[in-house]
Amino acid sequence: MNDTLTPNTVVTDLGTFQGLIQTLQSYWAEQGCVVMQPLDMEVGAGTFHPATFLRAIGPEPWRAAYVQPSRRPTDGRYGENPNRLQHYFQFQVLLKPSPDNFQELYLGSLERLGFDTLVHDVRFVEDNWESPTLGAWGLGWEIWLNGMEVSQFTYFQQVGGLECRPVSGEITYGIERLAMYMQGVDSIYDLVWSRSEQGEITYGDIYHQNEVEQSTYNFELADTDALFHWFDVCETECQKLIEKKLALPGYEQVMKASHAFNLLDARHAISVTERQRFILRVRTLSRGVAQCYYESREALAFPLMKNSLLPKATSDATAMEVDSE
Amino acid sequence: MNNALTNKSAITNDCLIELGTEELPPKNLKSLSEDFAKLVSQALNDVGLPAASIEVYATPRRLGILMRNMQTQQADQVVEKRGPALQAAFDKEGNPSKAAQGFARGCGVEVTDLQQRETDKGAWLYFEKTEIGSSLAQILPEVVATAIHKLPIAKKMRWGDQAFEFVRPVKWLVMMIGSSVVEGEVLGVRSGNQSQGHRFHAPGPMTFSNASDYVACLANEGKVVASFDERKRSIREQIEQSAANLGGVAHIEEALLNEVTGLVEFPVAVCGTFDAEFLSIPVEALVMTMQDNQKYFALFDQQGALLPNFITISNIDSKQPEMVAKGNERVIRPRFADARFFFEQDQKQPLSQRSELLDKVVFQNKLGSVGDKSRRIAKLAVSIAKQMGADEVQVERAAQLCKCDLMTEMVGEFPKLQGLMGRYYAEFDHEPKAVSDAVEQHYWPKFSGDQLPSNDVAQCVALADRLDSLVGIFGIGQKPSGVKDPFALRRAALSVVRILIEKDLPLNLMPLINKAFEALSDKFEAGSVADDVSDYIFDRLRAYYQEQGIGFDIVDAVISTKPEILNDCDQRVQAVNQFQKNDAALALAAANKRIANILKKQGVDKGLTKSSVTINERLFEATAEKQLFQQLVGLQGKVDSLFVEGEYLQGLNELASLRPVVDQFFDEVMVMVEDPAVKANRLALLSRLLSCFRQVADFSKIQS
Repeated sequence: MNDTLTPNTVVTDLGTFQGLIQTLQSYWAEQGCVVMQPLDMEVGAGTFHPATFLRAIGPEPWRAAYVQPSRRPTDGRYGENPNRLQHYFQFQVLLKPSPDNFQELYLGSLERLGFDTLVHDVRFVEDNWESPTLGAWGLGWEIWLNGMEVSQFTYFQQVGGLECRPVSGEITYGIERLAMYMQGVDSIYDLVWSRSEQGEITYGDIYHQNEVEQSTYNFELADTDALFHWFDVCETECQKLIEKKLALPGYEQVMKASHAFNLLDARHAISVTERQRFILRVRTLSRGVAQCYYESREALAFPLMKNSLLPKATSDATAMEVDSE
Repeated sequence: MNNALTNKSAITNDCLIELGTEELPPKNLKSLSEDFAKLVSQALNDVGLPAASIEVYATPRRLGILMRNMQTQQADQVVEKRGPALQAAFDKEGNPSKAAQGFARGCGVEVTDLQQRETDKGAWLYFEKTEIGSSLAQILPEVVATAIHKLPIAKKMRWGDQAFEFVRPVKWLVMMIGSSVVEGEVLGVRSGNQSQGHRFHAPGPMTFSNASDYVACLANEGKVVASFDERKRSIREQIEQSAANLGGVAHIEEALLNEVTGLVEFPVAVCGTFDAEFLSIPVEALVMTMQDNQKYFALFDQQGALLPNFITISNIDSKQPEMVAKGNERVIRPRFADARFFFEQDQKQPLSQRSELLDKVVFQNKLGSVGDKSRRIAKLAVSIAKQMGADEVQVERAAQLCKCDLMTEMVGEFPKLQGLMGRYYAEFDHEPKAVSDAVEQHYWPKFSGDQLPSNDVAQCVALADRLDSLVGIFGIGQKPSGVKDPFALRRAALSVVRILIEKDLPLNLMPLINKAFEALSDKFEAGSVADDVSDYIFDRLRAYYQEQGIGFDIVDAVISTKPEILNDCDQRVQAVNQFQKNDAALALAAANKRIANILKKQGVDKGLTKSSVTINERLFEATAEKQLFQQLVGLQGKVDSLFVEGEYLQGLNELASLRPVVDQFFDEVMVMVEDPAVKANRLALLSRLLSCFRQVADFSKIQS
C-alpha cells in the first residue's frame, strides 16, 4: 500500500440526508455488519431484502446493514402530503444472533447521530410485528424520540413459517423522519439531501416529480388485468422454482407477486374477502421458499458457521424446525 | 406423620428478588409483577417460610419482590412411620421377621434402629427420624425458577441463541437475603447483588449492599421509582399540577394512566401546545389522537372545552425539557393537520351521497354489501317504528344514513369514530336532531355497561341493525361457537336484550326476527334460523341477570315457559326473584317440583293448559283435596287478572296463601290410587295448580 495515501477526509455532514446514511453505515460497519447495497427490486420494506428475510433463516450467524428504498403504492399522495410518500427509504440492520447489548448498540447509533439521551426522551414502546405475507412475526418495540416513532426494533421469532434459531434482531430506521428532526424541517421534500460547493440538493429536487407521476400511475393507470395475470405468473414461476430447489430466484417471484398485490390494492381492485385469499397465496409461497432456502444452506453445510461463536454441537442442536401449523 | 419441632432458629431477614429485563409491555406490567410476587411468596409460605410483609415493585425494566422479615430457616421435622405389630415383628427367639426386615429396609435402617412402642391399639414397631429443615437460601432459587415458569404470559419470546422464553429478554437477577447473595441461575442469568439503575440517568451496574436498601438505593443512586403505585401517584399529581398551571383540568383515563406508568422509570410531566386552529376538528378525534397514538393527556377548561395543550410523561429529567416539548409538538402537528384535512374534505359532500359507495363495500360475502344491509335495516326499522309509534320518516332516514360515515376519510383514518362522525356530518347537513343522534346512537351500547340509544328513532335503528346481523349470520351457518364470534353477535344479542328491557319496549321478539328474515329470504333457507336466533337472544339473559345477582335457575324457570316479550320476561324474572324472599316460596317450589314429577310420570305434563283439564268436584274424597280446589278456584280469577296486568309479584303472593292447603294435600291425599277416575281427577287438580304458577315461571326449576 502507498504510505503517502492521506486518510479519507470526507466530512460527514449530519445536516444532510446522505450524511445521515453515511453515519449509520459507518456506525454499523464498526459493529461488524456487512454494509450491503439496496435490493434492485420493488419491495415494501427492508425486511424483504434477502439479507434479512433469507439470512434470518437457519443457524448461520450474520450481521448486515443497508438502505432499502421501499414502495407502498397506497401511501402515495401525489407529492402533496409533507409526510407520506409511496417511495421512501428504510435503514435496515440485522444482527443474528441478537446480541446481549442489542439495545445499547441501537442507542449508540442515536448518540452517533448527535442525540443526547439526557436531553431527548428516548423510549422503548411495546410493538409487536407480524407480516402475514412473509409468514413472519416477532416481538419488540417502536422507539420513540420525544414522542416520535423513529425506529422499529424486533426479535424475529418466526420467518417463512420457520422458527428462528438463533433469533435475529432487526432494527428499521425511518430515516426521513430522523432527518426531518435533525434538520428541523416540516416537509420531507425540504430535506437537504446534499450540500456542497455545487449547491444544495433537496429530497424534493430528487423525488417530488417521482411522487407525482408514480402516484398517478399507481392510483389511476396501473393495468389491473395485467397485474392479476402477472400475480398468477409469479405464483406459478415460484412454485416451479421451489420444485427445482432454486430458493433465490424463487424468492424474487415472491417479492414480485407481493408488489403486484400492493399495486392492485392501490387500485382498489381487491375486495376485502379476496384480500385475505391473496395474502394467503403469497404466504404459501414465502413458506415454500423459506423451507427451500433452509435445505439449500443445509446441503452446503451452512457455510457461514465458520464465523459462529457457538460450539459446533450447539449449532447442530439449534437446527430449524418446520412449523407444524 | 410430620411434626414440626420447636423453632430452633426463628431468624428472620429481608429477602429481595429482582428480575431485570428489557422493556416489558406496559399494559400488563402491574399484573405480571403481582403474579410473580404471589407465586414466589406463596411457594415459600407453603414450605414454612412466611414473610411478615410482601412488597411488589414493577418498572419497565424490572420485577421486584421484597419480602420483609422473612423466615430464613425451615423448622426441623420429626418424621415417624408405623411398622408391623410387635407380635408379627419378632419370633419367639426374638429374631426379626421378614415383615420387620422389610419395613426396616424401606426406611433405610437396620431393625435394631427401630423403636418399639406401646399404644392404645397394641404394640408396634416404629421408625422415627428428624429431618433437618432447609434454609431459605437453599430453597429460593428453585422457587424463583418455578414461579417464572408458571407465570401466565400470553406471548413469550426467545432471544439470541438461548432456548429460554420470557416476555422480553432477561438481563440480570438479584437474589439476596439481608446483605448476602443467594446463588442461583434463572433464564440464563446468574444471580448476584448487581442491578441497573435508570437507562440514561444511571447507566452501568449498581450494587445493593443489603436487600432492605432496595427502594432507597434505586431512588437515590438509580433514579428509578421502583413502586408502580408510587409512580402512578406521582404521574397523576404532576399531570394535575401541570393542568392547573395551564388553567385547565386534565382528562385522566385510568387505562392510559396505567399504561404510561408502565412506560417510565422516572416520570417527568412535560407540557406541549398545539395550534388553536385545530380545535375546529371534533374533540373526540383530537383526544383519540392524543391518547391512543401519543399517550398524551388532554386538557379541558372549566367549561369543558378542549384546550390547545397536552401533557406527556417523559422518562427523563431532561437537561432541556423544552426540546422534549418541541419534539412532541412536532409529532402531533402533522397528525392533526391530516385530521383537519380529512374533516374538511368530508364536509364537501353531504353524508347521504355516500350511500351509493356502500354498495361497493362487502358486509359479508353471502349477505351482500353494506348498502344492501342499510336497505334491510331501513325496512325492518320502519316496521319496528310502526309498532312503537316512532316517527317512520325519521327512522327511515336515520337507517339510510347510519352506515354512510364508513365511507368518509375521517372514519377511514379513525375507525373508532364510526357513528360519531356520522352525527357530526348529519348535523352539518341539517338533518333533524333525532336523525343525526340516531346515526351515532344506533351503535350503542358499544361495550358492556355502555349507555343505550336515548330516543325512539335510534332504538328502532339499533334493534334493526342487530337483528339483521343475527338472522343473516345465523342464516349462513356462522353462528358463534365457543370463543369464536367474529361478528360480535354475542354483544349484538345482549344489546337487543338491554334495549328491549331497559327501554321498556313491549315488542314481541319472534315477529321481529321473522321480519328480519323476510328481507334475507333470498339468501338462505328459513330452516330453524328464527328459532335459533330467538333462543340465542334468550340465552343471553342468563349472563344479563347474573350481573344483577339473579341466579340461572330463576332465569331458566321463566324462559322455559316461552315468554315472547322480553320486558314481560324481565318483569317475571324480577317478580320471581322478589318472591324468593317470601317464606312460602321454597315450599311452593318444592310442591311444584313434586307435582311436575308426578305429572311427568303419568305423561300428562305435555300440553298442559288450564282449559284442557277438567275437574269433577264430585269425585273428591278427601277434605284436603276439596279445600285445595276451593281455595284455588277462589283465587284463580284474581290471580289471572293480576298476571295479565303484569302484576306478577302480587299474583304470586296471592298464590303463596295456598301453601297450607297444598302441604295438607300432600300429607293426606294419595294421588296414585286404584280408581282411575279418582286418580285422573287428582292429577287434573294438580295440573291446574301447576299451570297457574306457570303463567309466571316453571317453579319446579327453582333450586332450593
